[in-house]
Amino acid sequence: MDDNLKIVGKRVVRSDSYAKVTGSALYTADLKLPGMLVAKVLRSPYPHAKIISIDVSGALKVPGVKAAVSGFDAYGVKWGVFRYTQDHAMLPTDKVRYIGEDVAAVAAVDEETALEGLSRIKVEYEPLDAVFDPVESMKDGAPQIHNEYKNNINIHVHIDVGEVDKAMAKAYLVREDTFKAAGEAYAMMEPYAVVASYANGYLDLWMPNAGPHVRAKALSNLLKIPLNRVRVRHINSGGAFGGRSEVAPGDLVASLLTIKSGRPVKLVLSREENATSSRQVHDIVATVKTGMKKDGTIVAKDYKVIYDGGAYSSTGPIATSIPFYVYEECYRFPNVRYNGYRVFTNKGIRGMYGCHGRAFLAGNEAQMDMMAKELGLDPVDVRLKNGLTAGEMTATKSKITSCGLKDTIIEASEKTNFKKRWKKKEKNRGIGMGCVAIMCGFPMGFRSGSSCYVKINDDGQVTLVTGLVDNGQGNESMVIQVASEVLGVPMEDINLVNADTEVTNLDPGAYSQAAAYVGANAVKAACENVRKRLISIASEKLGVPESDIDLKDRIAYSIKQPDKRMPISWIAREAFFRGEPIVATGSFFPDIDFEREWVTRPWGQMAGTFSFGTSVAEVEVDYETGKIIVPRFTAAHDCGRPINPMAVEGQMEGSIQQAGIATITEGNMWYRGFLLNPDLLEYKVPLACDMPEIDTIIVSSHDPKGPFGAKEGGLTVRMNAYSAIACAFTNATGILFEELPLTPDKVLNLLEKNKGVK
Amino acid sequence: MILPKFEYKKARTIEEALEIYSQYNGEAFYLAGGTDLVPLLKHRLFNPKVVIDIKGIEELKTITKKGGNLLVGPNATLYELKGTPEIQEKLPCLFQSLDATSCETLQMRGTIGGNIMQNTRCLQYNKSLEWRTARGFCYKMGGKTCNVVLNAKACYSNYCGDNAPSLMTVDAKARIVGPTGEKTIKVEKLFSGDGKEPFTVKPGEILKGIIIPLKETKGAYEKLTVRGSIDYPLVGVAVTIKDGSAKVGVTGIGPCPRVYELKEVNEKEINNIADKAYEDAKPVLNAVLTPAYRKKMVGVLIKRVFKRIEKGGSR
Amino acid sequence: MKTVKVTINVNNEKIKLQVKPYETLLETLRERLALTGAKEACSLGSCGSCTVLLNGTPVRSCLILTPEVDGASITTIEGLKEDGKLHPLQEAFMEKGAVQCGFCTSGMIMTAKGLLNRNKKPSRAEIIKSISSNICRCTGYKKIVEAVEEASKKMA
Repeated sequence: MDDNLKIVGKRVVRSDSYAKVTGSALYTADLKLPGMLVAKVLRSPYPHAKIISIDVSGALKVPGVKAAVSGFDAYGVKWGVFRYTQDHAMLPTDKVRYIGEDVAAVAAVDEETALEGLSRIKVEYEPLDAVFDPVESMKDGAPQIHNEYKNNINIHVHIDVGEVDKAMAKAYLVREDTFKAAGEAYAMMEPYAVVASYANGYLDLWMPNAGPHVRAKALSNLLKIPLNRVRVRHINSGGAFGGRSEVAPGDLVASLLTIKSGRPVKLVLSREENATSSRQVHDIVATVKTGMKKDGTIVAKDYKVIYDGGAYSSTGPIATSIPFYVYEECYRFPNVRYNGYRVFTNKGIRGMYGCHGRAFLAGNEAQMDMMAKELGLDPVDVRLKNGLTAGEMTATKSKITSCGLKDTIIEASEKTNFKKRWKKKEKNRGIGMGCVAIMCGFPMGFRSGSSCYVKINDDGQVTLVTGLVDNGQGNESMVIQVASEVLGVPMEDINLVNADTEVTNLDPGAYSQAAAYVGANAVKAACENVRKRLISIASEKLGVPESDIDLKDRIAYSIKQPDKRMPISWIAREAFFRGEPIVATGSFFPDIDFEREWVTRPWGQMAGTFSFGTSVAEVEVDYETGKIIVPRFTAAHDCGRPINPMAVEGQMEGSIQQAGIATITEGNMWYRGFLLNPDLLEYKVPLACDMPEIDTIIVSSHDPKGPFGAKEGGLTVRMNAYSAIACAFTNATGILFEELPLTPDKVLNLLEKNKGVK
Repeated sequence: MILPKFEYKKARTIEEALEIYSQYNGEAFYLAGGTDLVPLLKHRLFNPKVVIDIKGIEELKTITKKGGNLLVGPNATLYELKGTPEIQEKLPCLFQSLDATSCETLQMRGTIGGNIMQNTRCLQYNKSLEWRTARGFCYKMGGKTCNVVLNAKACYSNYCGDNAPSLMTVDAKARIVGPTGEKTIKVEKLFSGDGKEPFTVKPGEILKGIIIPLKETKGAYEKLTVRGSIDYPLVGVAVTIKDGSAKVGVTGIGPCPRVYELKEVNEKEINNIADKAYEDAKPVLNAVLTPAYRKKMVGVLIKRVFKRIEKGGSR
Repeated sequence: MKTVKVTINVNNEKIKLQVKPYETLLETLRERLALTGAKEACSLGSCGSCTVLLNGTPVRSCLILTPEVDGASITTIEGLKEDGKLHPLQEAFMEKGAVQCGFCTSGMIMTAKGLLNRNKKPSRAEIIKSISSNICRCTGYKKIVEAVEEASKKMA
């Protein structure tokens, strides 16, 4: 069937776009329920302080205030993704640990009244010494943020493969550099919002989320309500990028308020609150030591990476590991040591990010180019030499099943005339290349798989039910496209019911790059089961063998005698007559080593498959002002077979903005625990006029297990675009970057420090 | 984010606006485009009893040519002004600074009067009430310290208007009307130099018009930003050359724009002015790029603008 | 506090309202008129997600007081269809893949509509300049620029 695809692989209009271009697509803040109250949160003004008392009674005296809560109204449960990271109460009763932390909240008839209520809440604090720098925080004597974690070290991931010291000693060339990067803001356009409604013992919730099932589970724990009584409902999401993966303090706040008031509650964060008090991205300090042979072969890598983890664990072990893995899934490291430390500081809560790890990844790649130059080699050859190929194992024992890395390197470099331009560079101009791999899913226990339920309705139209969620990347449209292909009905005949925990089954969510490989595979499996039933009945009715029947344009027909045909709707009705309506389930569970654990056993198969990508950036550096201009950016991506190439391109182009151009514009700025740019004015999301000319190259390949050969689409660019910019900067100036973002002040500083280098 | 409570009054004449202002004992703000005022109000940086909408006052809107001058009503939008043929033909520096202001949509709403009279900015000032309360109030909020510079005696907020420096280089004047009458002053005289109270206009006074001499000039505006649109200048340099002499305006750095005069346009003079402007610039860590860098760019950009003019002027 | 009487023409419908004097146009549209296509993303005029047309010109509705627009015509994304048919901009945004999460989309389309109102055949540079009034976090803008180009072609 793959060779003759009717709709998969085509540039189709996304199923969700009509609602979005007409303004009728609903997001959480757009919802209105009868009797709905408005919630507002009182936040900590201290980076670190003991809570002596919280008195919300004053708020309740304000006419129109219907409920007021603090952590003392919660159930004393702390949230953590892992058993060993359960440290986040969401509404604290012992201490506040960052400025902006949720302390108490009210629900009132309108926002003005809610604000009035907040002003009547009395909180007594005893301020404590605070620490804001992760390196300082690790030192003896630093203020202890959680009692359970000595030296504020939240997570230490230690990986040691081969004999690093020996190999390093024997290496022809060894280089060690330290790279820093400011944490980014997710800056999703939709500020965080929750609507919660508690009635008859059931809690219904709407919020932008990247995994409704894990969200419901977390809230069930926090609220001590049975899981089936917490229902996370479907709603559009205005961007996530990793920042909507975990349960949020606002979820607990809104839930407690609706339970207390008996009325629906809506909490919408301001842009500033979204930045200070929803999740942030880790600041990173990465020390990278590399040993190379004379021919450019990497013989050893030794890493020490410090992640500024903010006040709580969050996805700690995962965040501490991912930058390393996406790199070891790309290159062959016979000997490698990784020490990743996630360290608590008195700053906002952090999470995973689509572009997570830029100091580490860009640092590795830029250093590789410096070493290549010293050895008289060029970046393309060094990457091809060290790049993994299909059939190989990564250092931590993941098998690479399909691999188009080499093709992405070759196609991107040929398209940009890379080799020639890198060597014979023009004044102040540079070209650079970044490569990376992405795991399509990672171990999440029994939540690693997805399943789908499909029914054919009496008019031949289709209902798909899946836990898969869409944060704007096009997952919903993708599975409708897959179902359309398998069932021979147009996309508009397919209704999707998804991401609603009451009716949909478990799905890994949209934060482990598993939507295409796992979620769409489950949809495909379910649709294939339905297809079998349709064909079986059609074969009987048309009197031709099953193997002679295909489905197309809502019709089942004989391939050999095309006049023998019947509408799919007739088959559906026939099935109803027989008392066996056409319904089916299908599921997909990836081949993962479930003994693998992020800290205690960091080896074994990470994911079912991996995608690959190469980015090439061209830069011009203004030596007077330090400004970097990026005239052109080329990205090549092996995403298996692209299900909707237009959607994959969109992901790649967005990644060039969010990871690539962000390299010269984006970073959170702090004054002690105060976030200085929690807005969309001083936090610099690149604009249309800041974008380069973009070339996207989709290197079509075929993953043996992916749905129609598909893998994750787009994220590789999100994790190599900064590397390309950093490498191009090095090519232009002969200097390695020290800290991202490469804003003009930092660039000029580097140029002055390194005068004479070329 | 909701606004604080205030009343809304529409004034049809300047007299009416002044009258409402005094009725409310000065606890009032004049509203034109609102692109500067509304965010300040949302952040509770001001809590007026009334907002007086002056957009309906006809005489504040017009752009007319009179004698050798262009008389510009302060409520003319930046976009309208940018489209004025006289400005496009004769005043390239002003045209470029108008074009470089924020973004097209805000140029269409923002007025020249509001742009000139915009409040000074600081990373620790333009924040919500909650953020500022946690941080503690600084001079500009009525407190007793500066949150950026330890032991500072004054407020270091930055004046970030793009167009006042251009107007200064073309010798523009401002007409001010208030309870005590009317006066005409040079644009540079609008600025007090104090970040806390950046303007010399007295409570209730209204900017009534801008008088721009229409002479053939050469010039250009150079603006340092991180992004190509929406951003305020981190440093802005306006240069106009007229009859062999030149004026240089510097903005985005410190509480007021500055203007410098070159009797002759030659390399030595340009370098002198660049050095002097560099010396005068006293940036602090209250914008997104480092102070040392911004200071340095004052000189760099001045030299660059002159070079650009020499090569033909436009960007 | 006294409310203010206003009459506005919203998407070709004359509407009389009593609003708070300090109510923004965005609040009126979203909360009173259930026109939630315009989004509140920054509330400070920095992003353009709340863009609507005021007498044909794009404005940030989060920066405008509703009393200011008494007597004016407002067009929101919900009013862009003509005779039940999508506007060419809406079609082009769909066909070119210019929509991802969708949160900036209505503001982006209204900004583009404002541009096409004053310039029927904008150059690529003019399109980029104009939509640089708005922030999109998902798309990298390339397909948005292509969509505006396509729409202006369709309308020619």
